[in-house]
Amino acid sequence: MLESAAAVTLVAALVTALLVGEEQTQGDLARVLFVHVPAAWLAYLAFAITLLGSGLYLWKKDLRWDRLAAGSAEVGVFFTGLTIALGMIWGKSTWGVWWTWDARLVLTAMMFFVYLGYLALRRSIPDPVARARRSAWLGILGTIQIPIVHFSVIWWRTLHQPPTILRPGEMQMDPPFRGALMMALVAFTVVYAAMVRRRMELARLEDAIEEAINAEEREVAGAAVTAPRYEGGLGV
Amino acid sequence: MTFWRQAREIARKDLRTEIRTGEVFFVTIPFGAVALMLIPLAIGTDAPLLRDVGPGMYWVVILLFGVLVALRQSGVDEGPQLDVLGLLGVDPAARFVGRAGATTLLLLAFELALGPVALALYDPAPKGWGWIAVLIPMVAIGLGLLGTLAATIAASIASSALVPLLVAPLSVPILLAAAQTMEGLALGNTIVGWILLLLIMDLLLAVAGVLSARPLQEASR
Repeated sequence: MLESAAAVTLVAALVTALLVGEEQTQGDLARVLFVHVPAAWLAYLAFAITLLGSGLYLWKKDLRWDRLAAGSAEVGVFFTGLTIALGMIWGKSTWGVWWTWDARLVLTAMMFFVYLGYLALRRSIPDPVARARRSAWLGILGTIQIPIVHFSVIWWRTLHQPPTILRPGEMQMDPPFRGALMMALVAFTVVYAAMVRRRMELARLEDAIEEAINAEEREVAGAAVTAPRYEGGLGV
Repeated sequence: MTFWRQAREIARKDLRTEIRTGEVFFVTIPFGAVALMLIPLAIGTDAPLLRDVGPGMYWVVILLFGVLVALRQSGVDEGPQLDVLGLLGVDPAARFVGRAGATTLLLLAFELALGPVALALYDPAPKGWGWIAVLIPMVAIGLGLLGTLAATIAASIASSALVPLLVAPLSVPILLAAAQTMEGLALGNTIVGWILLLLIMDLLLAVAGVLSARPLQEASR
């Protein structure tokens, strides 16, 4: 159901993005922003959900929350990577370079590496409970990066433009573009939800398989006890 | 034994082990000095350029090589040692505070040892020595807490590259605050915001380290 909704909203977002007229100065290149901006927002949302899942796991000790945190971090890393890649394509055409030492770019890349570290940590710990407990703390710590990335364009004089929508005062965007962007945001949010749900289900199955393998390898209680042996026989 | 006494004893034990092995003083500090010497060979020996980039390079070396201080073998407790500490009733939070305290002192020594090397090699003209005297211990505290926390999270994991991967991106606010403070002092700009950022980071890491100490110790058994 969620997957179908994701597909429908994605098609709707694509059609809306193509129907919007050309942007005056950037032409068709501006359409990259209909993916770049929602991907960046979804990355923030994903890491905020990782924070929530991590906190709830530490509170409730329920592995479902850990799976939510992990699934959301994985999807967040995907969206952060997409944001950086599309930003680089847009930057090459607009600024003339793939990469520039801009605060927003560097800090977004750092956020990407923080959560890559989170995923690497998870892969290093086989025990589900130890993995959940340790990565939950990292999931909470990693959140420090999000406000720094978001406010970097305000704190530093950067090449990256300041916020256009999430800013005090009126939005600096024409209504047709705003509508297409909002449609893309809705579509990406549904895609995010579908991906996280699927990832959580996969993680549950992985845990179940691991548990079954461990149960097979585990010695049965009392296996170390052997039948008594009588030296020289019983004499019968 | 009180909490602070436990923390002090853990820190003293760590420092005594460091004095015996000399891991930081005879390995990491010379390694950091070599790194400071290699940078000009890579980017060119243009004196004005080196004067400009010197303070930034100093902080990058402190950050990257500081991870080695937090990860020193003399500061590693294996399972049996942790079990003994647990049986002796040592509070995991006190263990964290003691370990972070020892690491902070070693990082402070690391910073103070490399400072003159950077001054000699890059010839910068730092201003506001009073603020620098505040900045250096605050950076040491932040990196000490972060390194100890990351080492606790990744305890007993085989991959030795994992902790640097965890520490380096998370230490960005500390690096930014340190580098921007130095630049602000040189240009005569206000630096209170950066010092405040550093203070907030130190406090957040201290709270996170103390709160997570017990659950992380249980998870590593």
